[in-house]
Amino acid sequence: MPEAITPVFRRAVIALSGGSIDARIVRLALEVTRHNHAEVIAVHVVELDWTQPLDADAAERSEEAQRVLDAAEGIAESLHGKMESVLVQARDVGAAIVDEAAAREADLLILGLPYRTRFGGDFAIGRAVPYALKNAPCAVWVVREPMGEESR
Amino acid sequence: MTAPNSPLRGRKLGDRRVVVDRPHSAYFRYAGAGVMIAKAAASAPTTAFGRRLARVRAFVFGKPLSTAQDIEERLSKKLALPIFSSDAISSSAYATDEILRVLVLAGLAWMTWSIVVAAAIALMLTIVAFSYRQVCRGYPAGGGAYVVARENLGPNFGLIAAAALMVDYVMTVAVSSASALANLATAFEAIAPYKVELGALIIILVTAANLRGLRESGNIFAIPTYLFVGMALLTICVGLVNTASGAAHHLNAPPFAEQPGVQAFTMLLLLKAFAGGSVALTGVEAIANGVPAFKPPEAKNAANTLIIMALILGTIFIGLTFVGLQYGVMATTAQGPTVLGQVGSAVFGGNFLFILLEVSAALILFLACNTSFNAFPRLAAILAQDDCMPRQFAFRGDRLAFSWGIVVLAAVAIVMLYAFNASVDALIPLYSVGVFICFTLSQAGMVIHWRKERSSGWAWRSVVNGFGAILTGVVFVVVASEKFFNGAWMVLIFIPSLIAMMMFVRHQYASSARQLTMRPGAAVPQPHRHNRVVIPISGVNRAVVQALNVARSITTDIRAVYVSDDPKHSDAIRELWTQAVPDVPLVLVESPYRALIAPVVAYLDVLDRSWPNDQEDPITFVLIPEYVARSWWERMLYNQAAKQLRAALLGRPHTVVINVPYRREDSRPQAGPDQQPAGTLVAADNGKPH
Repeated sequence: MPEAITPVFRRAVIALSGGSIDARIVRLALEVTRHNHAEVIAVHVVELDWTQPLDADAAERSEEAQRVLDAAEGIAESLHGKMESVLVQARDVGAAIVDEAAAREADLLILGLPYRTRFGGDFAIGRAVPYALKNAPCAVWVVREPMGEESR
Repeated sequence: MTAPNSPLRGRKLGDRRVVVDRPHSAYFRYAGAGVMIAKAAASAPTTAFGRRLARVRAFVFGKPLSTAQDIEERLSKKLALPIFSSDAISSSAYATDEILRVLVLAGLAWMTWSIVVAAAIALMLTIVAFSYRQVCRGYPAGGGAYVVARENLGPNFGLIAAAALMVDYVMTVAVSSASALANLATAFEAIAPYKVELGALIIILVTAANLRGLRESGNIFAIPTYLFVGMALLTICVGLVNTASGAAHHLNAPPFAEQPGVQAFTMLLLLKAFAGGSVALTGVEAIANGVPAFKPPEAKNAANTLIIMALILGTIFIGLTFVGLQYGVMATTAQGPTVLGQVGSAVFGGNFLFILLEVSAALILFLACNTSFNAFPRLAAILAQDDCMPRQFAFRGDRLAFSWGIVVLAAVAIVMLYAFNASVDALIPLYSVGVFICFTLSQAGMVIHWRKERSSGWAWRSVVNGFGAILTGVVFVVVASEKFFNGAWMVLIFIPSLIAMMMFVRHQYASSARQLTMRPGAAVPQPHRHNRVVIPISGVNRAVVQALNVARSITTDIRAVYVSDDPKHSDAIRELWTQAVPDVPLVLVESPYRALIAPVVAYLDVLDRSWPNDQEDPITFVLIPEYVARSWWERMLYNQAAKQLRAALLGRPHTVVINVPYRREDSRPQAGPDQQPAGTLVAADNGKPH
């Protein structure tokens, strides 16, 4: 079996959803990029439906959207790590995350995945993670949060 | 709000996204609904001078720490011990001398009683330490004797304890720096004429170290304290081994030895010796004052550190007294060697270890003042929280230190140094008087505490504390009466003065709070008083127009006032004004005595008097147009009259003074006269800002 080598990244984009998994992926990203002082960029996408123009004044005024990134910045600061944060409005979360990662030439994209089930008990993976896995030009890490007690 | 960014194309056809600006993120962070936390950048200075000053401050005192870093600044037991105990431990270096100086008055034969007196003091130390250990656990917010006395004996007894402690902390700083210099002056005579200046310099250096924060000052001061403890314990161990092996022989009388007296050996003499040696207890209370400075669990760590300190202090004190007795050391005058020096010389024989012992003793005596720099500001902060001191004392500076307390302590100690010409002999009678008042009050408070609490063992605990209260009370009486005519009378004036000051401050805050307090549940009514605006003008210019626009947003009852010492000029101004602002009356005040401010104030008085008596007084808004200068030297050229007027109107009833600043940048978008908004004037004649 070949010896395990810690991959080295230059720039990591982390996709934040505002859930409890965010803190975990911020810590993970800072941990894996700490050794070579790689950049960490946190992206939170506010999805707009077609009733609003794409450049509507939605996310900037949304305290909730700002808070998602601010909370991540706070965690990064407490770990003495540096992190850039980007707030994006788009029609589709997955596409916006992948496009942002590609535009910034990231070599790692980390996404958090809450453990949710559909009606009937099937695991719900959502749309953003499969899109990123299929389309992102860089490495993609998906961090799924642990199952709740009731799911086990 | 910023303009939205244009959409960016995605990798696939039709994918678009917009990156949204986050203007707040440089300065604030949202922490919850409607709650923002300011980042360091929000507190950063905005001017070039301010930034330079901040860089100098960061170099001297360190970079500012956030409140969240408080927990990182907390002290481990290892660091807290030297910070809070240097005063107490250092007193073991001279406490035995104080006992011997009294006992020698009865003749050499009675010197053996020194060990009995030392044992009695150690017993008192045990009781006091035991009591303060309970204080740490019972009152984890700190405050020591002050809080115990306040809670159990009443607020005024708390103030007595606080005042006594504060006086003693100031004296500790003054005495320790003066004695450190006195020691140095014996070695380097050249510094003797500059003792006061050097003493002040020492205090300033310790102040700067303490302003750098708790942890950093702890790191700076830890080594000398541990060095002294190590060397003193080594000296005692070697002395004990020599005694056991029969190698300890009585020494010859040292130079400047006190001559044996012929006084009768009475209970009073024994009490005096006991009181003299009790200086060993000074500083014991400091840990109980600073419990919140410890790492969690704060109370437990503080209580354990207190016990370690008492053990070290007791061991060194008893050990030195015992070993000194075996070597037959003598008390000396101020010029002679100390007991520690004599024992060290006998044990080590003047080699490197002896020099190290002497150096470490000198260092710890000097650093004894650091305990005060940690205890005084904390006590002052607690007093400020209780409204007994100005509230600034409760604010923490850039490095989370109670900067006001530190600076005020240093300033008062320097004043004391100057007042007493840095003379140890003159300062020492004022020292260690207050601390016994606070010991007595805290012990008495604990008796009541136990009786109220009735927890397990309350009966014997209250007996122990009661005994301690009587013992420390007796020591206070003996110490105060012994030193009274040598200067202790001043302490007995300072303490009541401080109490009076704190009571005054408390009364002031209580009275202002009564005036400011709103009735709970009361709805705020709509304003119903008439508003009127007076704009003192210096001419007809853009700054005045800006003030006029602000005035129009307040009320329609507006009048401008122009004070002039030149009637021709007044006519020109009236003409300009009538043409530009016909709807606002202008009052021209001729001032043949050339005063500018007083006529405006007099005009306001006249306005007030002319208001109908049967109506409620109106609120008069005085809008002062100000031209905002861009640099510090420009500021000297403008707004001098505005400043004077503001000062003259300060505190005037029913009057609100508003500065309306006019910046040069405000006129930039309006490049030419054609583009002026309606009501805006192009700079007119005499448009010079005052």
